[in-house]
Amino acid sequence: MPGLGARLGRGGATTPLQDLANSDCVVIMGANMAENHPVGFRFVVQARERGATVIHVDPRFTRTSALSDVHVPLRAGSDMVFLGALINYVLQNRLYFEEYVKRYTNAPVIVGGEFRDTEDLAGLFSGYNPDERRYDPHSWRFAGQESSPALSDDPNQDAQAYNQRVGRTDHPLRTDPSLEDPRCVFQVVKRHFARYTPEMVERLCGVPTALFLSVAEAITKNSGADRTTSFAYAVAWTQHTTGTQMISCCAILQLLLGNIGRPGGGIMALRGHATIQGSTDIPTLYNLLPGYLPMPSTAERHATLASYLDAVRAPTGWWHNAPKYAVSLLKAYYGESAQEANDFAYDLLPKIGGDYSFQPMLLMMKDRALTGLFCMGQNPAVGGQNARLAREALAKLDWLVVRDIVETESATFWRDSPEVRDGSVRPEEIGTEIFVLPAALTPEKDGSYTNTQRLVQWHDKAVEPPGDARSEAWFVVDLARRLKDLYGEETTPAARQLAALSWYYPTDARGEPDLDAVVAEINGYAVADGTLVPGYDALRADGSTACGCWIYSGIMPEPGRNLARQRAGDARAALDWGFAWPANRRVLYNRASARPDGTPWSERKRWVWWDAGEGRWTGHDVPDFPVTKPPDYRPRDGAEGMDAHSGDAPFVMLADGKGQLYAAVGLRDGPLPTHYEPWETPVANRLYPDQERSPTAKLLERPDNPYHRPRDPRFPHVLTTYRLTEHHTAGAMSRFVPWLAELQPEGFAEIDPVLAARLQVSSRDPIVISTLRGEIETNALVTSRLQPLQVDGRPLHQVGLPWHYGFGGIATGAIANDLAALIEDPNSFIHEGKSFTCAVRAGRLDGRGDATQEGEGSP
Amino acid sequence: MSGPESGTTGGDWGEGRDRRGRGGSGGAASDDAVIGPGYYGIPAIHKPHWKWLIIFYFYFGGIAGAAYAVATIADAVGASEDRRIGRIGRYLSFAALLPSPILLVLDLGRPERFFLMFRVLKLRSPMSLGTWGLTAFGGFSALSVAAQAAVDGRLGDGFVGRRAQQLPIQALGVAGTPLALFVAGYTGVLLAATAVPLWTKRALLLGPLFLASAFSSAVSAIELIVALMPSTPAATRHRLTRLGVSTLFAEAAIFIAWRNGLGPTGRPLGEGATGRVVRLGVVGGGIALPLVLQAVASVTTGGFARILSVVSSVSVLAGGLALRYVVVVAGNTSADDPRATLGMTAADGAPERLSTH
Amino acid sequence: MTLSTSDRSPLTGTTGARAGALGFLTDVSLCIGCKACEVACKQWNQLPADSGTGITGLTGFSYDNTVDLGATTWRHVAFVEQAATTVDRTWEAPGAPGSPTAWLMLSDVCKHCVHAGCLEACPTGAIVRTEFDTVVIQQDVCNGCGYCVPACPFGVPQLGDTDRKAHKCTLCYDRLVDGLEPACAKACPTESIRFGPIAELLPRALDRVEQLQERGVAGAHLYGDRAIGGTGGMEGLNALFVLTAPPEVFNLPAAPELPQRKVLPALVSTAIAAVAFILGSGAALRGRR
Repeated sequence: MPGLGARLGRGGATTPLQDLANSDCVVIMGANMAENHPVGFRFVVQARERGATVIHVDPRFTRTSALSDVHVPLRAGSDMVFLGALINYVLQNRLYFEEYVKRYTNAPVIVGGEFRDTEDLAGLFSGYNPDERRYDPHSWRFAGQESSPALSDDPNQDAQAYNQRVGRTDHPLRTDPSLEDPRCVFQVVKRHFARYTPEMVERLCGVPTALFLSVAEAITKNSGADRTTSFAYAVAWTQHTTGTQMISCCAILQLLLGNIGRPGGGIMALRGHATIQGSTDIPTLYNLLPGYLPMPSTAERHATLASYLDAVRAPTGWWHNAPKYAVSLLKAYYGESAQEANDFAYDLLPKIGGDYSFQPMLLMMKDRALTGLFCMGQNPAVGGQNARLAREALAKLDWLVVRDIVETESATFWRDSPEVRDGSVRPEEIGTEIFVLPAALTPEKDGSYTNTQRLVQWHDKAVEPPGDARSEAWFVVDLARRLKDLYGEETTPAARQLAALSWYYPTDARGEPDLDAVVAEINGYAVADGTLVPGYDALRADGSTACGCWIYSGIMPEPGRNLARQRAGDARAALDWGFAWPANRRVLYNRASARPDGTPWSERKRWVWWDAGEGRWTGHDVPDFPVTKPPDYRPRDGAEGMDAHSGDAPFVMLADGKGQLYAAVGLRDGPLPTHYEPWETPVANRLYPDQERSPTAKLLERPDNPYHRPRDPRFPHVLTTYRLTEHHTAGAMSRFVPWLAELQPEGFAEIDPVLAARLQVSSRDPIVISTLRGEIETNALVTSRLQPLQVDGRPLHQVGLPWHYGFGGIATGAIANDLAALIEDPNSFIHEGKSFTCAVRAGRLDGRGDATQEGEGSP
Repeated sequence: MSGPESGTTGGDWGEGRDRRGRGGSGGAASDDAVIGPGYYGIPAIHKPHWKWLIIFYFYFGGIAGAAYAVATIADAVGASEDRRIGRIGRYLSFAALLPSPILLVLDLGRPERFFLMFRVLKLRSPMSLGTWGLTAFGGFSALSVAAQAAVDGRLGDGFVGRRAQQLPIQALGVAGTPLALFVAGYTGVLLAATAVPLWTKRALLLGPLFLASAFSSAVSAIELIVALMPSTPAATRHRLTRLGVSTLFAEAAIFIAWRNGLGPTGRPLGEGATGRVVRLGVVGGGIALPLVLQAVASVTTGGFARILSVVSSVSVLAGGLALRYVVVVAGNTSADDPRATLGMTAADGAPERLSTH
Repeated sequence: MTLSTSDRSPLTGTTGARAGALGFLTDVSLCIGCKACEVACKQWNQLPADSGTGITGLTGFSYDNTVDLGATTWRHVAFVEQAATTVDRTWEAPGAPGSPTAWLMLSDVCKHCVHAGCLEACPTGAIVRTEFDTVVIQQDVCNGCGYCVPACPFGVPQLGDTDRKAHKCTLCYDRLVDGLEPACAKACPTESIRFGPIAELLPRALDRVEQLQERGVAGAHLYGDRAIGGTGGMEGLNALFVLTAPPEVFNLPAAPELPQRKVLPALVSTAIAAVAFILGSGAALRGRR
């Protein structure tokens, strides 16, 4: 999550789920936690039982709202207005945590003279290049800085790797501790958010001013030395063209309120599904190496190991250690083939030459630039944005391997997709050769989940998988072996890569690899004797250590002792339950739970503190700080790495160790969050009339992926997609299971009673929802849990559409993503699934029962 | 409930649990919950599965019990020429009893399931009591009919015939009559001891109602047989008619008391097809028409009177079946109506809106 | 119906449950409607989805698609949407419900009544009271007579479509004997379903009601003691509920009655009628000998 990464240093949730129980106020926004994270939600329930106020801000009244004290219905896609107004409220009323802000954030830092805010440039920041739809961030630098602000800015990659977001300071930062300099970050932020008023919230979000103020009051009253407020968000913040900035906006608010790094505070990044956190930690992404190391790129100075290490080594802060982790990773990958003499086989590591993220990949497939696909644990025929395009892309492949627990729609689209059923596509026209391989379920294999709070939890196999079903590890290990055999002695680059790959995992009689060997490799070991390292502090850049993922280092400190198996809980940090990266820390940046002098802010919120007698940091948690660095430590001039951080710099990953209220690097759409309307919107942007939509959103517009223009009268309603407790993502794990299928047996769309009355439909009546990408027929579910909002003086209807359903399995329904468009947030490359526009009519797709046609410009 | 049209009644929630039965009209699924108690019109209790097998069992069992009792009474107090009443009654009782176990076994599906009924005797379970009562009564009925057959020379002079001739018909009758009456009436108690509003609302009257109907049906059946037999003395016919008419009056009185006592819970008895069966079958055919016919017959003579009497008897018999039918069917309808169920079980002082619509 | 502390009857908070009785306390104010209890129950008890495949379509009843308790659904989560009846927004359609005020979710289950209608009705002795004071249908004894079905004032037991025997929650008898808690309680993420001795659950429930009322949830009340739910001779329920709306909202009867209370009076009235019919018949049939 670049939004958190740029402001706080790490992209993960700052706090464990259990810690929500310590909150005095929990704000759930951009998430439906009770429905999609029901087990974690128990801690919200606990907090509420202890007296906390729970606030749910969401377009729909959901099961989360039902358990909250306050539900704030707002227009999907207007979150930034709401958050910005909270920031403005905090600043205007001087409700920020002053000492925290002065000492732990970059509020006092002076911004360079070239910088121009959206206030000055009518909704744009300085440095905008309209032809490339990109910013040159040089003008965003802090005063006195000369070199390029970030370590990297490769437009082909999203901003998840740390080098995209870690700044480079070449001179000491100029500050004004009084926060009064008009160019200090604090004043810049204050000016930037001044136009985010409660009135604007009412106008753009549809939230009455009084309701907004009651939320603002609850949050500010429950923040400070003695109280903490936490925020929980999920994909309803990420899935916007401005999603990253929504999250980063929340980070600004929490920094101002002093809620980061403290018990009961923080930002709970709720992950979309099981171990999605793990899949970025040890990534399945094209542009990340394990532990958020950047994948070498042809667009950067990454040609040799030396230039790569030079480019990725941050002068100050934790990432100064990056070479240790990169070299240890190469040793883990290539073993004996990686020697100092051959730059640890760095030349074998693939270099990125283009944008191979998910959405462009679909287009490449459709354009036949990609002709083969392994599809594992994903169901793009249902889950892909613009899913019809996704199916058309699959149909253009030469071969497709679908490894899943059931025969998903991605394997059967050629014979029973909607377009095959309606006759517009004929199976014999599809040339894709499809291989369906059965996969083992979780209880049928050993493995781990890295959950939303960076917590690795191990699970053991309970039963053998049926028939030919095997684990992913079995498949990958076996596939690599076969490829190694297949390429044998060839001398092509690909063959050299395969030949050099260290591939030694022992397997059992069924061919299942011994995962202890994998975990040991992830943990890291001394190359000389194979001794496991105790943690990443022991890793070296000289090739003497190997480590598969430095942030997980310490997970197996001794052979066979996998800390992810730990199951001893306690009422505090539960350090003996599983293993949380990094170094088993639970609350990140927890140095901030103590005052600058190292004493707790309050008894009630004591967490980690400086033990002057012992000369070390101690507390309930593993300190997220050099453990012996005293609070009053001040760096000498020219200090490097962690030595360059003072004793009051809790955000250790960042260049200056301070929370970035103003992020000079790491965010491609500006150093400060700005409300831009969703790309498809029925509402005028009253905050920035001259720049209504994101100037940097990554557009993938083409005839098979058209967009609606703003306020397109043909598509008057806001459509938001969502998930249900009863189903899991694209449905492979739930729609095919009778016990789950019966709970939500058919697709539906939630509409408000007023729209229903206008369409003359009741629950279960068929309705057709359409966009320029397609139209689907589904059941209406009329509910007062959705209410029309008054936005900008006009009534606005929102349509809620669960996106689980497809044509396969037991519980079926029209594919919601057939309506969605391919379009991306510039930082995360995530699509805009939570807010786009649509039309709704009563009746069926084939025109039967078309009782009411909703006319253009109807009231 | 938002209004009369939104209340789902039995039909929508009949067998097969049609989930597509609408709970509310006019759109919002939440209407019902918003406006009043009840849950989308879904039944608050489960109705029994009982259908025709059980309706016929109730019917035949009633006739069997009442016919036996009438036979015993006729033997005890009747004139000598009325002996044929006792004789017909015993044959009729046995004949009506024979299908009962078959109907019950068919309802259970498999014969061995019926034997599980005999594991225990539970005094608070009318079904358990009824099974035992029916079985015991079956013994009496069989012995009585055997004795009667022996007397009539139908069992021959063999061992069985001679033994059967020695059976004390009258003593058997006196001893078996309490069981016979139990069999005739317990089915009403069985229904009354449930959570079904229409059955339990006036629980004290359902047993007597079934008993009365059993008597009227049994008497009519005997009358019918008598009427079809040649040379039945007029006095016998007259006394039978007198019994039949008084039974009908008694049945009518109990029915009216029961029906009126149900209040709104009795709504299914007045609505739709069931309502028509109540009006035409139970009240019209089962009570009113026979009374009129008997009145006419009483001032008529000869063959016409006899025809009237036959029609009257058939009408009563049909009415008796109709009564069992409407009680079972309307009961099921009331079980499917959450307003009826929840209205009946509302806390003290709860608004009466639950039980009315 | 309004319930408050002021008009509590002396039966409030009392039960006839046997010492050592085990049961449930299900708290509507903590339920998030995740239906984990429904699925855990079906999985542990190996119950099929309703109607075999489970798919008879969307009901439109909020998020409730399993409708009620039955032969193959032993835990059922009810979803009740409540909305303001008045709207102050003039541009809305007339008569449309206003903003949502609550979305109540309640996991319903067999009540394991202290005096159970189903058990008393059962003619075969298939339904027994266990050593845990729970009510269980022994499948090898049940003969499918179906009498327990209408004998339950809560609509719990139901005959199975395939085996034509009565089925209902066993309170996971097979887990209890092994010292495990029932599957539904185990699966509940928010402790909305608690399992334990009634002697502990009942005071906990009363405390909870008081706590909720102090928080301003005026409608909070206990369901399943002798005052409400466990009324009419049932002497309390071994499945207690904390409700925040009248029980009828969840299709629960407020003051149900044990059906078997009717048996003796009805037998007596029938006997009186029988005597009357004997005497009447005797009078009518009396002839000269």
